[in-house]
Amino acid sequence: MEHWLPLVAMAPLAAAALAPALGRGRPALAWGLGVIAAAWSLLAAVLLTRRLVLEGPFSYAMGGWPAPYGIELRFDALSAATVFVALIYLLVLVYSRRYAEAAIPAHRRSWYYSLLMVNLGGLVGFVCAGDLFNLFVFMELASVSSYALVAAGGGRVAALAALKYLLAGAVSSVLILFSIGVLHALTGSLNIADVAARLAATGAGAPAALALGGLTAGFMVKAALFPLHLWLPDAHASAPSPVSAILSGLVVNIGIIGWLRILPIFSGLETMALGMVYEALAWLGAVAIIAGALAALFQQDIKLMLAYSTVSNIGYIVLGLGLAHPVAATGATVHVLNHALIKSTLFLAAGALIHQTGYRTLHDLRGAGRVMPWTCLALSIGVLAVVGLPPTAGFLGKWYIALGALEAGRPVFAVALLAGALLIFFYYVRILNAFYFRAPAQERMLSVREAPLSMLLPVLLLAALCVLGGLFGRWPIDLLAPLVRQLPGGG
Amino acid sequence: MPSGLQNLDYAAFVVLFCIGLYMVLARSNLVKKLLGLNIMETAVFAFIVTSGMVDDGTAPILGNGVAGPFASPLPHALILTGIVVAVSITALALALIVEIHRQCGTIEADELKGAE
Amino acid sequence: MEVADFRVVLAPALSLLCAVLVFLLGRHDAWRALFTLAAAVTKLLVILSLLPGSLAGTVYSYEVIDFPPGIGIAFRADALGMFFALVSSTLWVLTTVYAIGYMRDRHQRARFFGFFALCVCTTVGIAFAANLLTLLLFYELLTVCTYPLLVHDETPAALRAGRKYLAYTLSGGALILLGTVLVQHLAGTLSFAFPGVLSRQSGDAMLLLTFVALVAGFGVKAAIMPLHGWLPTAMVAPTPVSALLHAVAVVKAGVFGLLRVVYNIFGVDLLGELGYAPWLAAVASFTILAASIVALAQVNLKRRLAWSTISQLSYIVLGAALLTPLAALAAIVHIANQAFAKITMFFVAGAIERTTGRTELRELAGLGRVMPWTMAAFTIAALSFIGVPLFAGFVTKWYLSLGALQAGAWWFVVLMLASALLNAAYWLPVVYLAWFRPPRGLPAQVREAGLLLLVPTLVSAAYVLLLGTTTRTPGMPFSLAEAAVRFVTGM
Repeated sequence: MEHWLPLVAMAPLAAAALAPALGRGRPALAWGLGVIAAAWSLLAAVLLTRRLVLEGPFSYAMGGWPAPYGIELRFDALSAATVFVALIYLLVLVYSRRYAEAAIPAHRRSWYYSLLMVNLGGLVGFVCAGDLFNLFVFMELASVSSYALVAAGGGRVAALAALKYLLAGAVSSVLILFSIGVLHALTGSLNIADVAARLAATGAGAPAALALGGLTAGFMVKAALFPLHLWLPDAHASAPSPVSAILSGLVVNIGIIGWLRILPIFSGLETMALGMVYEALAWLGAVAIIAGALAALFQQDIKLMLAYSTVSNIGYIVLGLGLAHPVAATGATVHVLNHALIKSTLFLAAGALIHQTGYRTLHDLRGAGRVMPWTCLALSIGVLAVVGLPPTAGFLGKWYIALGALEAGRPVFAVALLAGALLIFFYYVRILNAFYFRAPAQERMLSVREAPLSMLLPVLLLAALCVLGGLFGRWPIDLLAPLVRQLPGGG
Repeated sequence: MPSGLQNLDYAAFVVLFCIGLYMVLARSNLVKKLLGLNIMETAVFAFIVTSGMVDDGTAPILGNGVAGPFASPLPHALILTGIVVAVSITALALALIVEIHRQCGTIEADELKGAE
Repeated sequence: MEVADFRVVLAPALSLLCAVLVFLLGRHDAWRALFTLAAAVTKLLVILSLLPGSLAGTVYSYEVIDFPPGIGIAFRADALGMFFALVSSTLWVLTTVYAIGYMRDRHQRARFFGFFALCVCTTVGIAFAANLLTLLLFYELLTVCTYPLLVHDETPAALRAGRKYLAYTLSGGALILLGTVLVQHLAGTLSFAFPGVLSRQSGDAMLLLTFVALVAGFGVKAAIMPLHGWLPTAMVAPTPVSALLHAVAVVKAGVFGLLRVVYNIFGVDLLGELGYAPWLAAVASFTILAASIVALAQVNLKRRLAWSTISQLSYIVLGAALLTPLAALAAIVHIANQAFAKITMFFVAGAIERTTGRTELRELAGLGRVMPWTMAAFTIAALSFIGVPLFAGFVTKWYLSLGALQAGAWWFVVLMLASALLNAAYWLPVVYLAWFRPPRGLPAQVREAGLLLLVPTLVSAAYVLLLGTTTRTPGMPFSLAEAAVRFVTGM
C-alpha cells in the first residue's frame, strides 16, 4: 500500500513501453495489456481515494528523498479525480478494440494503444504531482501523446489538426515552463508547497505576478478558454472517437487542474493582481459559454458540435472559478468531473454511430434512432445531461455556479449561464429530431445494425453514470470540499 | 558579472523568446513555425539555466579540489527534461509535416487553409 | 400533520414502470393496452387511497434523495397537490381508453403509449413535488416527454409545431430555473411552505426579478398572453395528445406551478404587500377577453378549442391573482372544471374526426341527429363553459365573482359576465348548428362514434354535471378544493 501512489502512474507507462513489442503482429495483445494496466490504475485509484477519505491527504516521497528536496507525489482532494480518469480510460480502451480495428491501420494499432497508455500515465501523474517539475513532465507526457493520438487515424484533416494542436500546446507549455523558471528563480525550490511558503515569506510582487500571468495564460490555452480555443474544434472532431472522448473529457482538464494546483502558490500575492486574474477569467468564461454554444448551433458534423460544446462547458468551469466564491468554485470543480463523464458518453456514442453507419453529419444520420436504439438512447441521455436537466450530472455544476454567481452579487453571470444552457438545448434538439423523428436520408441507414457489445456496454455504463452522478452528486462535492476551501477567495 | 549588465542576459532571452513567438505566429511555412517554437524553447531553457547561476559559481560537479560556490543544479535537471520534451515535440511535428506534405502537397499554412 | 408515506412516490413510479414495459414489450396491442390501463387504474386507486387523509388535513411526504446541501428531490401530497393529481389520474384513465380507440391503426403506437405513460408520471410528479427543484425537474421532463407525442405524425407541420413548442417551453424552463436559483439565494430553501418562503427583507428588486422570472416561466405553459403562441399550433398533434396537453398535463402543470408560486413561494400576504398581483390580474383579464375574441374568428374546431383553453386557463391565473380565499377556491376548482369540460370537447372533436373525417365547424351541421350521444356531451361541455347553473363552469364563475367582490374589485364581475357572453357567442352557434340544421353531405353509414371513443366522452361529460351539482356534498372534489384552500390560505 505504501508504494501504490507512484504505481498508479508507472503501471500504464510501463505497459506503454511494452505494448509495441508485445503487439507486434498481434495488436489484440497490446489492447489486452492496455486494459489490464487501466484496470490496475483504476483499482489503485479507488484504494488511494479510500485512504484519502479515511485518513486525509497524504504524500509519497520518491526514492525516499524527503520533500522539498525530492520528488513528492501528493494525493489530496484534487487527485481524487484519478478515479474518474482511470475509469473513463478503462471504458475507452474496451471500446477501442472494435473501433481501432476499423479506424486505425494494423501496423499502427499497437502504437495507438501504447500512446493511450502514455496518455493515461501522464494524466494520472499530472493529477498527483506535488512539485512543479513533475507537473511539467507529466503534462508534457500527456500532451505529446495527445498530439500524436489526434493524427492516429490518418488522413489530412487529422494531420493538420494535430499540427495545429501541437503548436498551440507547445507554445503554452513553453510559457508554463518559463513561469516555472521564474518561480524557481524567485524561491529556489520547485516543490509546490515549499514555493508557496517561500513566496509568501519574501512577498515578491511583479515577478510573481508575471509568473501567475504566464501560468494562467499557458493553462488556459490548454483548457481551450475562449479566445484561445481555436485549436480545439478541429483536433477533437478529427481525432478517432475514443481519443475525442479522452481529449474532451480529460486532457482538456489539464489546464483547469493545473491552474488549480498552482493557485495556492499565489495566495500571498497582493489581492489586486489576483483579483484581476479572477475577473478576467470570469468574463472570458461567460463569453466562452455563449460563443461555444452559438458556434455549435451552426455545425452539421456531430463531432464538431460536441467539440464546440466542450468549449462552452469549459466556459462554465472557468466562470465558476473566476467568481471566487466557494459555492461557485464547488460547482466548477464538480463540473470538471461531471463534464468528463458526460462528454465521454457523447463522444463514444457518436463514435459508435459513425463506426456503424459511416456518416458524420446530422442530415445523413437521420433515422438512426430506429436502427441503433441503445446507442441513441445513451446519446439522448448524454444530451439531457449536457444541457443540465436535473437530476443528471450536468445539472449540479450549473446550479452551483448560478447560485454562486448570485451569492457573489453578480446576477449577470447567472443569466449568461442560463442563456447558454438554453442555446445548447436548441442545437441538441436538432440531434434528437434527426435521430428519432425524421425519415432516413441515406439508404444505408435502413440496414445498419446496433453497435457491437464491446462498444455498446461502455457507452451505456457511462450514460448510466451521467444520471447516477447527478443523483449521488453529494459524494464528489463532499470529496472536493477541502479543495474548495483552499482556493484563495473561496472558503 | 557587474550587476548592471546582469539583466542583459534575461533581456536577451526575452528578445529571443519574442522572435520565436513571432515566427510561430506570423510565418506561413510550417517548418519555420517549428523552428520558431524551438527558438522559444531554447530561450526559456537558457533563461532557466541562467537563473540558477550564482556569482563566481562553477559547474555543480563535486570532485577533488573543487570548491564552491556551485551553480544550482536543479535548473539543469529541469531543462534537460525540457530539452527531451522539445526534441520529441520536434520529431512529432516533423513527422506530421511530412504527412501533411504527402497528403496536401504543400506546407504553407496559407495554402493549407484555403484547401481545408 | 405530516406523515411519511411511500404511496406518494408510488403514484408517479407506477406510470414510469408502465412506460418501461410499454417500450420493451409494447409491440403487441393487447399487452400494451393491458399495461396502460392497469397502470392508469392502479395509479388512480393509489391516489384515491390518500384522499381521506387529505380531506382531514394530513400531508403525506417522502424524501427521495438529498442533493447537497438542503435541496433535493422530495415528494409531498398536500390538499392542493392531491387535487391536481386526482384530476390528472382520473382524466388519464379516460384518455387512455380513448387513445386506445383513437390510435387503433396509427403508426408507432408503442412509442406513443410509452411517452403517454411518461407524461402522466411526470404530471403526478409535479403535483406531488415538495420543493421547487422537484417541480422544475418534473416540469422539464414533462416538456421532454410531450415532444415525441406532439410530433408523432412526423409531418413537416408537426415538426414545425414541435420546434415552436420546444422553443417556448424550454425558454420558460430556463426562466423558472433562474427563478429557482434566485429563490434559493434569497430564501435559502426551496421547499413549499405556508405562508411562503420569501420575505420582504430580500429587497424589492430581487423579489421583482424572481416574480417575473417564475411567472413568465410558468406562464408559458399556462398560456398567458403573450406567451401562448405554442398552443394553437400544437393542435397538429393527434387528438388524444391535444386532450392530454390541454386538459391534463401541460397547461395544468403551468397553472399549478403558478399557484405554487403565488401561495407557497411568495405567499398571499407578501404579494399583497408588494403589489404585483394586480398586474398579474390585468394580464389574466386581457388573456381571458382577447383569447375569446380570437376564438370567435376560428373556423376549425380544434383551433377554437385551443383559444378557448387559453381563455379559460387565465380564469385560474386571475383567481390566484385576486389573493382572496374565495378566489383561490375558484382557481383550484377550475382546474377540475375546465379539465373535464375541455377534455369532453376534445374527445368529441376527435370522435367526429375519426368517424366523419370532418374538422371544420361549418361541417358539423346536423351531427346531432347522427351522433346524438357525442353531441349531447358536447352540449353539456359548452353549457359549462358558458356558465349555466348546474354545470361545472358556473361554480367557477360564481366563486370567482365572489372572490373579486371580497377583494373589492367589482369590475371582475363584469369581466365574468362579458366572458360568459363571449363563450355563449362562440359555443351556442355550434350547438345550434349540430342539433337544428340539416346535415350536409354525410355518407350514409355514419353512425355514432365507437364505444372506446364514446364512453370516455360520456363519462367526462357526466363528471361536468357532477362537479356542477355536488358542491355541498362531502367527499366530492369540491370539498377537496376547499381543503386545499384551507391549506394554502390558512382559512
